[in-house]
Amino acid sequence: MTVPIEYYVLLSAGMFCIGLFGILTRRNALMFLMSVELMLNAANINLIAFALLHGNLTGQTFALFVIALAAAEVAIGIGIILGLNRNFGDVDVTEATTMRW
Amino acid sequence: MPAEQLPEWTALAPAYILAATAMVLFVIDSIDPDSDNRNLLAGTAIVGTLASVGVATWFLLAWGSGTGPGPTITLFGEAVVVDGTSLFFTVIVTTVTALVLLASYDYLADDPHQAEYYSLIILAATGMVLMASSNSLATVFVSLELASLPSYALVSILKRNRGSSEAGLKYFLIGALSSAIFVYGISLVYGATGSLILSDVAAALDEGADGFEGLLGVGVVMLIGGFAFKTASVPFHFWAPEAYEGAPAPVSAFLSSASKAAGFVIAFRVFVEAFPLDVVAAMGVDWALMFQVLAVVTMIVGNFAAAVQSNVKRMLAYSSIGHAGYALIGLAAITGGNPGHDATVLGASMMHLLVYGFMNTGAFLFIALVEHWDVGRTFDDYRGLARTAPFASLAMAVFMFSLAGLPPFSGFASKYVLFLAAIGAGYWWLAAVGAVTSALSLYYYSRVVKALWLDDPIDGTPRVDSYPRGIYVAIIAAAALTVLALPAFGVGFDLAETAATALFE
Repeated sequence: MTVPIEYYVLLSAGMFCIGLFGILTRRNALMFLMSVELMLNAANINLIAFALLHGNLTGQTFALFVIALAAAEVAIGIGIILGLNRNFGDVDVTEATTMRW
Repeated sequence: MPAEQLPEWTALAPAYILAATAMVLFVIDSIDPDSDNRNLLAGTAIVGTLASVGVATWFLLAWGSGTGPGPTITLFGEAVVVDGTSLFFTVIVTTVTALVLLASYDYLADDPHQAEYYSLIILAATGMVLMASSNSLATVFVSLELASLPSYALVSILKRNRGSSEAGLKYFLIGALSSAIFVYGISLVYGATGSLILSDVAAALDEGADGFEGLLGVGVVMLIGGFAFKTASVPFHFWAPEAYEGAPAPVSAFLSSASKAAGFVIAFRVFVEAFPLDVVAAMGVDWALMFQVLAVVTMIVGNFAAAVQSNVKRMLAYSSIGHAGYALIGLAAITGGNPGHDATVLGASMMHLLVYGFMNTGAFLFIALVEHWDVGRTFDDYRGLARTAPFASLAMAVFMFSLAGLPPFSGFASKYVLFLAAIGAGYWWLAAVGAVTSALSLYYYSRVVKALWLDDPIDGTPRVDSYPRGIYVAIIAAAALTVLALPAFGVGFDLAETAATALFE
């Protein structure tokens, strides 16, 4: 038996909201990165579930692109957070406030 | 069109040239990683970009030379398209990139990471050119990331500078959040339509979204969030003042002009091609209404916040948010029922982005010049600079008055045409908000000119110890383009309107 599409969408919407909640509440930049990963992977669940529903491979292929881009984004993000740690001695995103927010 | 003589794959030549230039820079850097040979690196980057400007301009003029729109060339299974719109924005992006590279030569003279800087700029420009040519939500996302990821690194390239590091962090955090929202929106649109190619999405919507209207609506709202980030409009605008203020000034110029234009071109193409307003509005997804709200709020927030700044660079950052609001009128005033009006208003918005690209880049490059002199960042620090640097100050006055939209400058022509088109489409109140906020903007723009030309320096003459050639050439070129855009305005607007017409067909 196949799982109804609604369940997949609910799962991905839940993951997306958990990620969004993490971004809004966490102060640690690394936790922030993990939350963004959750949101991107929520989109991947959707893409793959809908690819099954529509019977074409577009969604699955695009999910591969999203995974690769997520890795690239984390690489850049870690570099920026490293620079932040060197300059401010912390990875707390609320510490860096030399300019007004 | 050169397509009649050249093979089809050459239509993407501007992007290929930029990508090849980035690869050449990598090769130079890997042969001699410690090299700080600025002449070689900046020279390679500038030659490559100018070649791309030349080819793009040639293609665009050839595209618009016949009667009616030129051909639309699709490549890679329709994932990439080359038409008037993509060529028009390629010209904007590559011209801005060339000006920025020219100014970077002096601005980053002491930076140890020369090769990295130039290759990142070229890679981001490649991404922006591809954004202009994207015809599928997959290429939209990939090229948007190709433009964004180098931009994050560019903003925080001054590794020992706290401001640069902080700006990079904020830009990255908001960028990562908005790209996650954007890709989730893409996944919902894919769920509702079963395709990522823009024309196939429109075809699927034409047959009705049978029960998926809710998903589609949420997806479209999320896509708007992604575009709002890239174009620095409300509600994802608050990274812009931080990122522009903390970044090296040439990078701020690059982001506020080229990156914004590239964000707008994908918004134009995606919403016009994939979500025809008359079809999706019937499903209850009236995106023109959302853009009307965003345009009004963006114009008001950007211009009012700019009026209370004391730091000139931050003032320009908020003014660039205000200009995003003007350009948004291009989407907000689309009615869906009348292709003639819609093409005019969209073409006017494209033309505004072109003129804005020149004048705003010039203004930020003047900031780069002032930062190079290290005389300070506030309006007070700018007092009396015209005595020691009259040419640059004159150019800055041109940029300021043109940005404000005063009559003898090209900024006036583009705003006039844009507001007139909005009135023609029946949205007189959009034009009214635009005119009122433009009048307000004259206040803060003329403060810069007053400080430069009329005020006396607070403590003696400001110290201006050098006249860096690269930055000067870039500023004067930007000023020349801003001034020349007025006599050439008719030609440019015709091209933009034809390109927009082709988009609606």
